Amino acid sequence: MTTLTDTPAPVAGTPATGPARQAWRRLRTRPAALASAAVLLLLVALALAAPLLAALAGQDPNTYHDDLVDSARGGVPYGAFGGASTDHWLGVEPGTGRDLFVRLLYGARISLLVAVGATVVQVLLGLLVGLAAGLGNRWIDATLGRITDVFLALPFLVLAIALTAVVPRDFPRPLLLILVIGLLGWAGTSRIVRAQTLTLKGLDFVAASRLAGSGRWRTARRELLPSLAAPVITYAAILVPTNIVVEASLSFLGVGVTPPTPSWGQMLSTAQTWFRADPAYVLLPAGLLFTTVLAFTVLGDAVRTALDPREAGRLGVGTRKETSR
Amino acid sequence: MRQPSLVSRRVAAAAVSVVLASGAVACGPEDAGAKGGASGKADGAPQKGGTLTVLNSEAQSDFDPARLYTSGGGNVPSLVFRTLTTRNREAGAAGTQVVPDLATDTGRPNKDATEWTYTLKEGLKFEDGTPITSADVKYGIERSFAAELSGGAPYLRDWLIGGDTYQGPYKDPKGLASIVTPDARTIVFKLKKAEGEFPFVATQTQFAPVPKAKDTGAKYEEHPVSSGPYKVVENKNDGERLVLERNEHWDPKTDEERKAYPDRVDVRSGLDEAVINQRLATSSGADSAAVTTDTNLGPAELAQIGSDKALAARVGTGHFGFTNYLAFNPKVKPFDNPKVRQAISYAVNRTSVVNAAGGSALAEPATTFLPEQKAFGFTPYDHFPAGKTGDPAKAKELLKEAGYPNGLTVTLLHSTAQNRATSPEIATAVQEALGKAGITVKLDGQEPNSFNEKRWSVKDAPGFFLSRWGADWPAGGPFLAPIFDGRQIVTDGSNYNHAQLNDPSVNKEIDEINKLTDLKAAAARWGALDSRIGEQALDVPLFHPVYKRLVGKDIKNVVISDWTGVLDISQVAVK
Repeated sequence: MTTLTDTPAPVAGTPATGPARQAWRRLRTRPAALASAAVLLLLVALALAAPLLAALAGQDPNTYHDDLVDSARGGVPYGAFGGASTDHWLGVEPGTGRDLFVRLLYGARISLLVAVGATVVQVLLGLLVGLAAGLGNRWIDATLGRITDVFLALPFLVLAIALTAVVPRDFPRPLLLILVIGLLGWAGTSRIVRAQTLTLKGLDFVAASRLAGSGRWRTARRELLPSLAAPVITYAAILVPTNIVVEASLSFLGVGVTPPTPSWGQMLSTAQTWFRADPAYVLLPAGLLFTTVLAFTVLGDAVRTALDPREAGRLGVGTRKETSR
Repeated sequence: MRQPSLVSRRVAAAAVSVVLASGAVACGPEDAGAKGGASGKADGAPQKGGTLTVLNSEAQSDFDPARLYTSGGGNVPSLVFRTLTTRNREAGAAGTQVVPDLATDTGRPNKDATEWTYTLKEGLKFEDGTPITSADVKYGIERSFAAELSGGAPYLRDWLIGGDTYQGPYKDPKGLASIVTPDARTIVFKLKKAEGEFPFVATQTQFAPVPKAKDTGAKYEEHPVSSGPYKVVENKNDGERLVLERNEHWDPKTDEERKAYPDRVDVRSGLDEAVINQRLATSSGADSAAVTTDTNLGPAELAQIGSDKALAARVGTGHFGFTNYLAFNPKVKPFDNPKVRQAISYAVNRTSVVNAAGGSALAEPATTFLPEQKAFGFTPYDHFPAGKTGDPAKAKELLKEAGYPNGLTVTLLHSTAQNRATSPEIATAVQEALGKAGITVKLDGQEPNSFNEKRWSVKDAPGFFLSRWGADWPAGGPFLAPIFDGRQIVTDGSNYNHAQLNDPSVNKEIDEINKLTDLKAAAARWGALDSRIGEQALDVPLFHPVYKRLVGKDIKNVVISDWTGVLDISQVAVK
């Protein structure tokens, strides 16, 4: 993070160690950021441990329990709170009697995997195209710029639906979702990377590196990439929650994961009519989706502030109470 | 019985799915017996007067008798269009009968049922006071052959002599020679072959009279000339808003079927289904005198109504002849092996399937292809008893005999429509049950259009898919013939004979039954035929849907027949 040298060490009493370390110091003084990170870590842990926890609960995400739903009343679960019991900790799904706790855990796996995977694809593609546009000659920049414009203007959901519909059913759906969301959504990252590259290109340290005989790509790798980390990481933290919602939308529209695989979007889709008859069924996936998106957004924002030295200096992170935000 | 003509099949396919999916354009429910029982607060005899509001999701589009695809004359259409015969407006099984409407009887066949003669009642008038003649009925039917007025059922085109080539009165003013009108009150139909169920077809709106002098072609739908108790006073946006008022020239003495209590009927459509049910439940203002002719209650709404007695009393229950089933295409392996098909029949868990369809209030488990109504010829059988929740042990045994001791993997085609009929919920319930018997089911969910295209194609139909069938009238013919008559396999259009069964003995029996004009005798033979075909396990009947619909709190005289399964709008009173 060469840009950091432009500003004096912002936090009093803190030895000016590596930039990542500084960012972490700033970050850990923000309770909201820490709480968000903790929530996300917990979610990831739960998702990873889904088969274990399912075994612990003695349940399976796809097993029907016809005896737990009231067939004469539209299949609403017997009992209060969506049929919650010692066997089914969060109740069961109306109509099928499938265990909700386990389905939510397995749903988290799909939702998180697809969102993070798609973000990785978006960031990598965005970096590649953005750097090429920023460093290339005018012709390359113009061509890539127009392509980026086209991708920004694409009707995303419509295309995603069309793409997921034409691919054979045998293709693994989570991977397909990652690719579709990733390949259609890189344009924003590429714009940011290009703009930042153009700014950095004119700065002394980059020019020095070029004068010292470094090639274009060596400069990009050694000098530009580290400086691009801050904006890209920040943007990625915003992309993840967006992608969770996109996956949910696609599954909601019936072009996401194949049943019986659960995902939060698929659960919300079937739950939408039940919000009065069985509120638990709607509130659980909706609440989880909300919590996850909120946690990612708060964390993303905190990371942005922490990585931006000017912002950190102005706010006096670590010495004073936060005033803005 | 439709002949395999490409055009008619396509039209039929589209129309059947529309008509059936919306729960039949026609009428009204009640538990067998009690007329007017379903309306909670309705005390005392129904009175004339008031405005009836109809809250619908689909517009009443193409409101031209030539263009409507109806069962029994339709619900709203039958307020404006009278036909030679019509459905009996009574609750339950009595409502599956055909009764005279414009005609004095349900039709007099010649000896071999290839010629049907009708005589019009006396004193019938259009809304402008001119008398209705047999020539008007003939003209109305001829119009339905015009290409610009397409949409009706294909039966007339297939059955009438010369019907397959006739182009309609605009191109061919000479008319159709197979419809003869010897005098102003008599009309005779000459058919290609015996059709014992012709009186059922004469209930469709194509049999409504149209005065030639008032015919405006494609624009006629804006203001069709009424022969029924109401006339159109407003028709906005192709039936999105339709206002009907009394037709002073309709004489109740000539019409035993329509009660016509309200003075005015106001049809409003384009509404969300959840909104319709919410408005009917709340019943505030004009909504207290409202009904719907196309929106059913869903499982969540039923669960919510559950404990509310006042609301539950306003729910009408009806049965329309309809079967949802698992279809096999025996041309595709491994479904060519009867043992595999039987194994699947044993493995199916109808309890989870019924739950997926909305629970026992919205679906009844089915082991027969014919719906459970006498009119269809229902003959109980259960050739592969799966019990309530399936018999995986027996299924495994059969699989072993079939040469799959370690189970097998199959693909099930379903649609992504949220209709609880061919939708993912049903497919997943099947998948889970078959899994217990060692059959791994991969799901292939397609959006509704490509789903239909695939299952109706002889060439591309997969081996195993969800399907459903509803009849155009309550009899065995339109239920079994399109599905099992080998001559109705359509190679270049919509094919409903999924099993591609072409068994000369089945074909012959269908022809024999069609010659019968004694509908009771015919029904018994349809039932026997259904049971016989069922032994081959060419499909797995899953469930028959049940319709539940709410009415506003001031609605009286709710009548639901087994013909349509929904409330009959011509019987409803608001006072």
